[in-house]
Amino acid sequence: MKIPYYPGCTLHERALDFDKASRECANVLGVELEELPVWTCCGAVFPLTTDSVMEILAAVRNLAYASRMGDKVVTLCSFCYNVLKRTNKVMREDGERREKVNLFLRADTETRDKIESFLKEDYVGQVDVLHYIEMLRDVVGFDKMAKHVKTRLEGLRVAPYYGCMLLRPHGEMKFDEHPEQPTIFEDFLTALGCDVVDFPMKTECCGGFQIVRDEETAIACSQTVVASAVKRDADLIITTCPLCLYNLDRKQKEMEKRVSGFRKIPVIYFTQLLGIALGIDDEHLDFSDNYVDPRPALAEKNLV
Amino acid sequence: MEHRIGVFVCHCGSNIAGVVDVKRVAEQLADYPGVAYSTDYLYMCSDPGQNMVKDAIKKHSLTGVVVSACSPTLHEATFRRAGAASDLNQYRVEMANIREHCSWVHRGDKEKATEKAIKIIKTMIEKVKQNEALEPISVPMTHRALVVGGGIAGIQAALDIANAGHDVVLVEKSPSVGGHMAQLSETFPTLDCSQCILTPKMVEVSQHPRIRLLTYCEIDDVSGYVGNFKVRIRKKAAYVNRDVCNGCGLCVEKCPRTVASEFEEGLATRKAIYTPFAQAVPNKPVLDRDNCTYFESGKCGICQKICPVNAVDYEQKDEFIEEEVGAIVVATGFDLYPVVNIGEYGGGSIEDVVTSLQFERLLSASGPTGGEVRRPSDGKIPKEVVFLTCVGSRDPENHVSYCSKVCCMYLTKHAMLYKHNVHDGQAYVFYMDVRTGGKGYEEFYQRATEEDDVLYLRGKVSKLFEEDGKVMVWGVDTLTGRKVEIAADLVVLGLAMVPNSTAVELSKKLKIQVSEWGFYSEAHPKLRPVESLAPGFYLAGAAQGPKDIPDAVAQASASASKVCALFSEKEYHREPIVAWIDEDECSGCKVCISVCPYDAIEFDSEKGISRIQEAICEGCGACIAACPSATIQQRNLTDSQLYKMVSAALED
Amino acid sequence: MFEPKIICFFCKWCTYAGADLAGTSRKQYAPNGVVLRVNCSGRIDPQHILWAFREGADGVLIGGCHPGDCHYQDGNYNTMRRVSIMKPMLEALGIEPDRLCLEWISAAEGDKVVRVMDEFVETVRDLGPLDLDLTDRLSGAEAPEGAEVVEQKS
Repeated sequence: MKIPYYPGCTLHERALDFDKASRECANVLGVELEELPVWTCCGAVFPLTTDSVMEILAAVRNLAYASRMGDKVVTLCSFCYNVLKRTNKVMREDGERREKVNLFLRADTETRDKIESFLKEDYVGQVDVLHYIEMLRDVVGFDKMAKHVKTRLEGLRVAPYYGCMLLRPHGEMKFDEHPEQPTIFEDFLTALGCDVVDFPMKTECCGGFQIVRDEETAIACSQTVVASAVKRDADLIITTCPLCLYNLDRKQKEMEKRVSGFRKIPVIYFTQLLGIALGIDDEHLDFSDNYVDPRPALAEKNLV
Repeated sequence: MEHRIGVFVCHCGSNIAGVVDVKRVAEQLADYPGVAYSTDYLYMCSDPGQNMVKDAIKKHSLTGVVVSACSPTLHEATFRRAGAASDLNQYRVEMANIREHCSWVHRGDKEKATEKAIKIIKTMIEKVKQNEALEPISVPMTHRALVVGGGIAGIQAALDIANAGHDVVLVEKSPSVGGHMAQLSETFPTLDCSQCILTPKMVEVSQHPRIRLLTYCEIDDVSGYVGNFKVRIRKKAAYVNRDVCNGCGLCVEKCPRTVASEFEEGLATRKAIYTPFAQAVPNKPVLDRDNCTYFESGKCGICQKICPVNAVDYEQKDEFIEEEVGAIVVATGFDLYPVVNIGEYGGGSIEDVVTSLQFERLLSASGPTGGEVRRPSDGKIPKEVVFLTCVGSRDPENHVSYCSKVCCMYLTKHAMLYKHNVHDGQAYVFYMDVRTGGKGYEEFYQRATEEDDVLYLRGKVSKLFEEDGKVMVWGVDTLTGRKVEIAADLVVLGLAMVPNSTAVELSKKLKIQVSEWGFYSEAHPKLRPVESLAPGFYLAGAAQGPKDIPDAVAQASASASKVCALFSEKEYHREPIVAWIDEDECSGCKVCISVCPYDAIEFDSEKGISRIQEAICEGCGACIAACPSATIQQRNLTDSQLYKMVSAALED
Repeated sequence: MFEPKIICFFCKWCTYAGADLAGTSRKQYAPNGVVLRVNCSGRIDPQHILWAFREGADGVLIGGCHPGDCHYQDGNYNTMRRVSIMKPMLEALGIEPDRLCLEWISAAEGDKVVRVMDEFVETVRDLGPLDLDLTDRLSGAEAPEGAEVVEQKS
């Protein structure tokens, strides 16, 4: 089964490990992530102005490319997912902006040829934007995924960190049934055999890109999240967002300096954890970029 | 017959006149065929306004009147009485609704609103022209009332009706009367013990010679109409012959199965065979089949063996009781908004976050902790307790939009009683607004802040979670603009009041309207607050909307007085807007008989025609639309009238 | 702009009360419809609808209680069946079926009255004025019985 895949910039640069692990896991599960042949940045932040269309053009263009390849597009980064999904909603529901955006798409000389060659009709939200974890649940099925598991992660205490961008605003994202008590990652972890560590900070902000402007505030946020998982004896934290990983993992170096008796905890992408369960080679699961090496924690449970 | 119709255009202050050019309407309609008199006035429904109608009828020998004002549900009766006072048959008076259907909804375009008002009035002039002089139809009436729901509202309504000398059937779905009030500890603003004031009424209702109390029963079906309802009541199998049972309680004592007690809101257990609480009325147990070992495996049977009067009967089946009543009071009460929907407060997963009803049980002297405030997780006395108002209420995006009205007061009471209980404890209340409308309520709230040092913080709480045996409360004090973090021992949620879970289903059986959130709709929000729009149904208590005890009792007594007013006449007088068959034209095809929902049409096999029994006909018009030869007509809403009304509405 | 003329037959228990609620809530909607109050939507005969079109209505809106909520048990089901039969009939007569609309609106749905009114007015506006070539076809036909004033008999 082929599914159109939008990796986004970060997965081609800083988070190559995330991209690699996710593709490998999909292969094992019988899904080929078919990367869009042409794509651009999603825009990174969903614009809140409603009287302008320029800021969503990039995202719509990507969606329009995807609509040529199928009725879905899968993505991994929480920011990309947030932007694409909310933009898609605008294209489905806001007639005025939809019309303007399509006008621009057709007028844009750079892309006109490419678009007109396949875009027989306007882009009106034809594709469904799926997060990879939603693909696992709804396309593959957690039960079917569990059948591919070679090493059940018994005894491994994993804290699933959602962050904000997957869940909010709930009215537009509709990512899980309840934005305050999501369970999709818990269900995913249970299917892999892990002990799920439910921690109250799982939906709190990691500090986001405040890390470049106001490091103190951002680290205070990420430290709250890390400490909450550590306190509940988690062995590791999983995440789905390269920025969350940066704030939660790499900034533990700063946390160590600031907090006496700070206990480190590895933070990895959820598809890296899935890769371990599916028995994917270490070479495909690259942990070299992590500040806190997850391998000792995994070795303790005989998982590497 | 020469038509001499009077048109009276009401300004309704500026409600109509602010949008519709009433002068122009009155002037223009003066020239309409059949109109003998046309005028406008500031408030038609006022005394001078009504006198104006009365005088004009006499002075201009009017044969019909169209009052162009508000919805007929409001003042049709008023003006019909006015007409009758001037010897104009009341059914020759009609309302043209130019307020709700025109001025209020077309404020943006005065010209079009005025044109539409004229059209609306013309349709009613055409209707009145052909209205017959009619008399109400008198039908026999059953002077016996049904009260659905045995909480404080139902109890009060039943007692009031019975004390006025009418028989009452009181149906309660749970094993005992008492409702939520029986669960409460003390009541605001007087702090008298809830059970002390309620239990005497529960006993009274069970012993009253005019009240038939049916507990553990549900309404199965209701048919008929005001004055003559037929009600089928399902008596749920209790597996205890409650007539034989002497209430000794041996079976309850010996039953080996325990389950969470509904009455204690899950804070304590009960047995599989149980009375819900010590003061239950009737104080006789029922057996909960779903949790009984005997019904699960055929083993056990202890209760049957031990019963000294052989009252336990595993073979018992649901029974049906038929009752005939003339009026129905609906008092089905409320439930709390489900806590599982409030994810940010743990959705029910944090043990020391309790609902307001659970906290009532923790405060109650008869509760699981004997009236000592102890938290559920470890039984410790909590030293920091946080109370949250508006949990679910006033949150149209996520939960319910309305204010539940009583939470501010009962949480104030909770905080106060907690402080009386735990002197060195601290109580916090997070609030959006403190609403203390009611006699003595504001003073009560002031007392809580001044004498009991309850700390009120204006702001919402964004998150509750467990940390180190505490409940962490993340909130904000919007008055100082600071984030507030409290490590609480116990948190109490003032959850929204929602209609009883059975309310919507019951409304379908009764064919009465419910509002957006499932509360029963009153006929008029101000002037007919205790009646349903469907005749013969009356509303009492929180089933109609969130209410405290005094309001619920007042509404119950009001309902009872409405029932008594209905019963004050020997017969019930019904609207004569029924169907009739032209016997000369009827071909006897019987199509009408097949569509009549009331079996009101009988077939005269001798003459080969159908005939409508006026006393039974409800005037729905199904037979009229079905009659292939247009032989059936509705009084004062004939096809001819409808055609003329349509034409009038479309005339330029 | 073309302002369609709409005749609304509203049952008095649900939709009429819903329209009252729209009024008491001061909701605003298009003023094109005139409401005639009937006890039940089941009272509406196909001839009433045809008569309205013949007399110049551009659209007919019928409002009744939601299925299962009829005050008269099942009157609204009769309406539903009649309307579904009426639609192809109208088409055969050259009247666009969308000019006839049946909606279930409860007494609590003031918002829905507003929405339905506005949407229906727009639908009919898009269809344009009803082309009354039809009158030629109907002119030979007799007016339905009762279209002339008849004395009520008892």
